[in-house]
Amino acid sequence: MTTATVSRHTRWAVPGIAAAVVVAGFAVQPLLASADAGDLPAISADQLLVEVLEAEPQPLSGTVVYTADLGLPDLSEITKAVSGPALTADPANLLAGTSTLRVWTDADARSRVTLQGTTSEFSVVHDRTQAWTYSSADGAVVHYALSETDQARVAQLQALVEAGAFTVPGGMPTPTTVADDLLAQVGEHSTLSLDANVKVAGRSAYQLVLTPTSTTTLVGRVTVAVDAQTRTPLQVAVWSRADTQSPALQVGFTDVRFAMPSEQVLTWSTPAGATVKEVTIPLPSDTELAGAEHAAPAVSVTGTGWDQVLTLTVPAGALDAQDLTALATAPGIMPEKAQEYAQIAQGPHGAAVDPSALLDQLSTPVAGGRVISSALLSVLLLDDGRVLLGAVPPATLVNLAG
Amino acid sequence: MSDTLAIRTRGLTKRFRTGQIAVDGIDLEVPRGAVYGFLGPNGSGKTTTIRMLLGLVHPTAGEVELLGRPMPQAAREVLGPVGALVEGPAFQPYLSGRANLVHLDTCDPSADPSTRGRRVGEALDRVGLGAAAGKKYRQYSLGMKQRLGLAAALLRPRELLVLDEPTNGLDPQGTREVRSLIRELAAEGITVLVSSHLLAEIDQVCTHLGVMSTGRLVLQGPRDDLARHEDRRVTVTTTSEHLVAARQVLDSLGLSDVVSGGTTVSAALGEVVTPTIAATMVAAGVDLVEMVVSEPSLEQVFVELTGEGFDVAR
Amino acid sequence: MSPAESVSSVRSEPEAQPESSIQPERWAPRRGATLRLIGAELRLVLGRRRNQVLIAGLGTMPLLIGLVLYFTSGGPHGDGGPGFIAQVTQNGLFLVVSALFICLPFLLPLTVAIASGDAVAGEASTGTLRYLLLLPVSRTRLLVAKALGALAFVAAAVAAIALVGLVAGAALFGLHDVVLLSGTTVPLSEGLVRVLGVVLYVGASMTGLVAVGLFFSTLTEVPVAAMAATVVTAIVSTVLDSLNALSAIHPYLLTHHWYDFAAFLRLEVDWTVVAQGLGVQAAWIAVFGSLAWSRFIQSSITS
Repeated sequence: MTTATVSRHTRWAVPGIAAAVVVAGFAVQPLLASADAGDLPAISADQLLVEVLEAEPQPLSGTVVYTADLGLPDLSEITKAVSGPALTADPANLLAGTSTLRVWTDADARSRVTLQGTTSEFSVVHDRTQAWTYSSADGAVVHYALSETDQARVAQLQALVEAGAFTVPGGMPTPTTVADDLLAQVGEHSTLSLDANVKVAGRSAYQLVLTPTSTTTLVGRVTVAVDAQTRTPLQVAVWSRADTQSPALQVGFTDVRFAMPSEQVLTWSTPAGATVKEVTIPLPSDTELAGAEHAAPAVSVTGTGWDQVLTLTVPAGALDAQDLTALATAPGIMPEKAQEYAQIAQGPHGAAVDPSALLDQLSTPVAGGRVISSALLSVLLLDDGRVLLGAVPPATLVNLAG
Repeated sequence: MSDTLAIRTRGLTKRFRTGQIAVDGIDLEVPRGAVYGFLGPNGSGKTTTIRMLLGLVHPTAGEVELLGRPMPQAAREVLGPVGALVEGPAFQPYLSGRANLVHLDTCDPSADPSTRGRRVGEALDRVGLGAAAGKKYRQYSLGMKQRLGLAAALLRPRELLVLDEPTNGLDPQGTREVRSLIRELAAEGITVLVSSHLLAEIDQVCTHLGVMSTGRLVLQGPRDDLARHEDRRVTVTTTSEHLVAARQVLDSLGLSDVVSGGTTVSAALGEVVTPTIAATMVAAGVDLVEMVVSEPSLEQVFVELTGEGFDVAR
Repeated sequence: MSPAESVSSVRSEPEAQPESSIQPERWAPRRGATLRLIGAELRLVLGRRRNQVLIAGLGTMPLLIGLVLYFTSGGPHGDGGPGFIAQVTQNGLFLVVSALFICLPFLLPLTVAIASGDAVAGEASTGTLRYLLLLPVSRTRLLVAKALGALAFVAAAVAAIALVGLVAGAALFGLHDVVLLSGTTVPLSEGLVRVLGVVLYVGASMTGLVAVGLFFSTLTEVPVAAMAATVVTAIVSTVLDSLNALSAIHPYLLTHHWYDFAAFLRLEVDWTVVAQGLGVQAAWIAVFGSLAWSRFIQSSITS
């Protein structure tokens, strides 16, 4: 064939076909990933919940994509402007948009979670009662460990850790942790049902739906995709009452392998020449444990289940805006989780964001204070130092504050 | 099929996107073995026609046959034996003349790599660039560039050469050399199509002529047929006292358009042969100092057809 | 007038003719014609002084960065830039990565634009394109040769940065075991392999832009216009990539995956990330390569 005999139609058909193949190629990927999982053995929603909670933790490694669409002002512009290029992996980026994490766990005491920046990583390595965080952006290592006296009573405390009485800091939202918290703590305040089976990260999964029995919470429903084989939660999506089109929060595996991660992954070794900041984790003393329950004296809880409202009293100015942002957008909807993630977000290396500017951006003034309102959570900051937060509309908080 | 024609077009037309018609339905016929002078003022459509002949530009309408094969469909099979110089030479400015020819020949899919060095050397010698072969092309004068373009066309033995304005930028000496080169090539049996906007430059070597004007082929045929007999003039030089007698002789022979002045008298020759004129002059006692027959004034034909002066055709 | 022109005369060599009349000239393409064409194109591109100067210029970038870091002893750690720039002073191997990182947003796209924008438009502007087509060279093969020439140029540029970076890094800071983005230390041998992965990925990331530049190059006879359009494409892609409102199209943008070379510096190389980045480049090559082909194959050569 000589080139000149190629007709006008034929020659434009070639790029046309190329474009069509390319578009089809990109379109098919998500279709394949979310294809119908087909028939799975029938199971009741209640039974599935029980099995999820009782399932043996699985050693796994995988990639997790976390998306927050909370209807807040775009924070990335602010944090970018203040804390440098967005290329940096910074837990603050979890507050909005999409983040990618990679997760490895031996299902027992050791795990590694890394938050992927474009050319950086923030790593959290857990090894029993110790944890390290490493930020590739500045090479900072933070070592969290128990004091020597606490080390001695680890066995005793282990039970408390497992009971969720306190957590080792530095956690990251993974489908497993988020789902477990949700299912364990609010399952009883929700109607359970099953939706059509789905495929998540190429695996067949049941879809458990929790619909709050309360009608006064901001949360519309929560869907949890549960791996049919291992009963491991693969994806959690939290839908607000306001937006039924797309979840306000979604965290799920895009890729998962149920196998023991390599020793290299689970072991932390401090890079030569790195400076390590030592942080001792303060454990509640025996007397504290014997006395008050979980809540610290400054925190009080009103309401139950989805309507829980947490009231903290903090000295004026002690909370910086980023904590508050974290509170309002934290991946968990429970106040306890919110508190925990606030701690992470502030982090060992909390970025220097101008608090007042950020706060002005995020909040709107109300009588006696300011309110931050997201699709799933409201935070009321009162001028008298009280902070109220819960998965309820701002008006509820204002009423409660009296 | 036109086995006797090296180039043949039928209704060849090119209309640009602007709507302007550059070439308007021309029927070009270049016999094999001919030296075809393709004439026309700048902008008359010569170069666009040549581009269409060679498949560089696609015709809006009409057909082209090159060496008996349709263009541009058969471009890949037919262009090999065709050497061309189209709208000036073009080479990589940062390479030497020799390196440029080597590069071009390396890209030629049917060229024999084993004879490349010899063929490049011969082509350079043939156009007189042997001594300047190592110089960078950008340092060449306009004439040297033109010569290198000719050398590229002569890298391999061709059946047809299409030379667009080959004398452009050459001094009179260079122009003569190119003319003599064309004669040699024609003597080897190569068909040559040579375009020019100056009749005088190529007239002497052509066997055939085609004249373009504003996109049309206004005249075409063997050169000698175009030189019409009635356009030949005879000019007789005599002494001033015999001038009247000489004029009477020409009148008596029935020549028309008799003009006299000073010591000469001239007239359109028509069918009368010169010996008759000479004999009659002598018989009439006219002192015949000189008698000249001016060859057909192609230049006048050319100017008549295409207009004169610096007007570039639309 | 040059002496050669006025002194020498056009000579005839009729004795050269009998040979060709005995052996009729072959006009069918010979074996290896395409390879010779590609070879000629590569010699042209890589032998050109302008291109050599450009590649040498890019090669000085890592040297410059290395010297700056050497004399400022690294600068403040954690000034917001990626960690591997700060790591250069501890391990010269990171000079390769840092130099590529610094060249990635503008200098490399500029090099790609010069290489690919010039490919067809350059020949069109000098007029040599018409003589190539009259040889005759098949337009498809010529386009392929031009694409390979541009790719070779880009590969040479990336290789120059990498090699100078490696040598300068080794000389200024020495080569040591490599601390990955996750804080894990791997032996130098593995580090070298990973950095090689980075270099190859960065090179491959440029191929989509080469196709875009080649397409622009077939649209015009003005090389600078094609080069400018190519650079603008890269810049527009970067700008679109930074607009959160367009996050839906981000994964398909030409430049979106350029920085995913970092995958090779993570604890476990995530090959799906690498495959995605290469897949997007392949898609851009398919679309713009075929556009360039369909445009070039029947375009009128009027220069």
